[in-house]
Amino acid sequence: MQTNIPGSEKLVEKPVERNLWTRRDFFGFAGWGAFLSAIGLGLLGFLRLLYPRVLFEPSPVFKAGKIEDFVEGEVSEKFKEEQRVWIIREAGKIYAIQAICTHLGCTPRWLPLEGKFKCPCHGSGFTKDGVNFEGPAPRPLERLAIRMDEEGNLIIDKSKKYLYEKGQWEDPESFIVL
Amino acid sequence: MVEPHKSEEQIIPPSSLNPDKIHTWPFLVRVEFIVGLLVLIFLTIWSIAIDAPLEEPANPTKTPNPSKAPWYFLGLQEMLVYFDPWIAGVLLPSLIIVGLMVIPYIDINSKGSGYYTFRERPFAVGMYCFGFLILWIALIVVGVFLRGPGWNFFAPWEAWDPHKVVALTNVDLNMWLAQTFGLDFLRNQVVAALFGLSLIGGYYSLGAVFYLMKVKTNETLQKLGPVRYGIVAFLFLTMMALPIKMVLRWTLNIKYICVLPWVGINI
Amino acid sequence: MGGPGVVYRFMNLIQLKAKYEEIRKTVVDSYVWKSIFRHGYKDTPRNRVLMTASNVFLHLHPSKMRRHGIKISYTWCAGGLTFLFFLVTVVTGVILMFYYRPVAEYAYVDMKYLQFDVPFGMIMRNMHRWAAHLMVILVMLHMFRVFMTGSYKPPREFNWVVGVLLLVLTFLLSFTGYLLPWDQLSIWAVTVGTNMARATPLLGHEGPFAAQMQELTGLVTPRYDARSLLTAGTVVGAPTLLRFYVLHCIFIPIAAAILMIVHFWRVRKDGGISGPL
Repeated sequence: MQTNIPGSEKLVEKPVERNLWTRRDFFGFAGWGAFLSAIGLGLLGFLRLLYPRVLFEPSPVFKAGKIEDFVEGEVSEKFKEEQRVWIIREAGKIYAIQAICTHLGCTPRWLPLEGKFKCPCHGSGFTKDGVNFEGPAPRPLERLAIRMDEEGNLIIDKSKKYLYEKGQWEDPESFIVL
Repeated sequence: MVEPHKSEEQIIPPSSLNPDKIHTWPFLVRVEFIVGLLVLIFLTIWSIAIDAPLEEPANPTKTPNPSKAPWYFLGLQEMLVYFDPWIAGVLLPSLIIVGLMVIPYIDINSKGSGYYTFRERPFAVGMYCFGFLILWIALIVVGVFLRGPGWNFFAPWEAWDPHKVVALTNVDLNMWLAQTFGLDFLRNQVVAALFGLSLIGGYYSLGAVFYLMKVKTNETLQKLGPVRYGIVAFLFLTMMALPIKMVLRWTLNIKYICVLPWVGINI
Repeated sequence: MGGPGVVYRFMNLIQLKAKYEEIRKTVVDSYVWKSIFRHGYKDTPRNRVLMTASNVFLHLHPSKMRRHGIKISYTWCAGGLTFLFFLVTVVTGVILMFYYRPVAEYAYVDMKYLQFDVPFGMIMRNMHRWAAHLMVILVMLHMFRVFMTGSYKPPREFNWVVGVLLLVLTFLLSFTGYLLPWDQLSIWAVTVGTNMARATPLLGHEGPFAAQMQELTGLVTPRYDARSLLTAGTVVGAPTLLRFYVLHCIFIPIAAAILMIVHFWRVRKDGGISGPL
């Protein structure tokens, strides 16, 4: 142990109870503590660096034309290519569904003959109004905020989502009453 | 080329050498060089003959049908059919990695180090082969050759019909029990959650029950000790949960055993 | 016209050998040769040990090893070939970097450029891709072999752990490389892969406890969670490509190379290739 090191006799002689922590211990812990917290802070900073303040992504808000453009009872795929959004007009209301599978984010297909959305990745199926009924999807498709501007254009905001399982499909901002 | 035995005998009497040891240079380096060259020739011919795939440019709005991950991840993708993404994509892979890492620390059988043997370590080899060959390689084969459009099963000789309709209507376990046996109290979300949790707890406590029953008489269990046994049992039962869930899905269309909507957990 | 006599003269191998020896001796005895190679070396046990011990590339080997360790039926050469394919991907990958730009507009075009307008470009890409696949196969085979021979048992426990980490890094290398061609295969494999991060418990915005974490920290939203860390945004787009490119070409290869050095060194230090005790 330390007794063999020249000059360390004093340390050993001191009663242990009086000096639970020697000065050397204290500076050792303080030094390592400072070193590790500096590393930790650096890592936190690096983590923050990976999330930029501004993302250069397309605007989530887009104009989807007039209500007359959509046929009652049909799923419109007009904006699927460009915006990944289906617009569905039913008797009395119109709403928008995001074309992103709730399982792992593939784009499902609308199969008009079978009247369902079907995801090619893992086979999840959704009814016409977006409720999951087959395959691995854990929850229904998401609906998006929809409103009408002064000129009667439909405005869809993809940044606001309405989830069935939270009862948000009843939210008046998630559909337009005709 | 000179035989390793001969050349050594020529240089020094074999009695002065450990008979099981030979020089790395030239005996190993030679083998490495030759095998490396042959494999590089094979790779070059393969690369001249077969082009790496390149599909259409990326299009975020058009998902190809079927959309398959690289082949070595198709085992994972197959698990995604039976479990929610947080289990199949995060929890199980992490457990596989951690489980592989702890193997040397939970396998206390000192036999079979450095040679092929099944008889001296049947449990270890059996478990590993089950996990590796059945749950990893076989699932990759299923994903590569048997999955087609809509992630439906297709036999290799079948044409891929994108409009093939397969009933994938799944029910949660509590609803299935409620429908089949008229246990209507299971329709309540809270009761169903408690029921599901106790089922899963019961499944994992099977390991403890087995330990308590056998520990008095079984020497291996005594040597293993409760902590190591606990880890082995947990990993084993988790591994077996995959085939159990697969069978439940194929036979009864069960989707979830346990649903906890309040914290977003479906098992 | 020649005739059998000419053939005979050319076929006289003994004479040919003598001629070769004569030329060799002239070269080896020449002033220039001797200025480069001061002396040869005798094939003695000491020199054989020195060959491995004093060479920077060979010294990761032990200087002596168990006789059965060079049997292909024992090792399947799987570990060594995994490393060889790693080297192949490094060399071909660096060559591909001469032409590839990790920008969404150019990435796919550069693939076509490599294929049609760069001599041997397609072969480099093919070798890169196929060597990566072979590396994955061989790393799995290597792990299988090591398990079957019980080579993770004491004193090699920790090297098995390093090996598992290398297995993970191999998968990550392949996966990050998958996005770079920027074709349909890439974007959808990576969409599915990164969406799993979305479901990470506590850290992903759709995983278990996401709602609770949002209330507590205000984070774990689509903008700030485990997935957007990978995709560098809310969708798989141009920033994702750049991030994966850096991970694929610099970050993971360096991490893997360091672990490989540890792995090979530990093979030697933990008693060489495993064998019957």
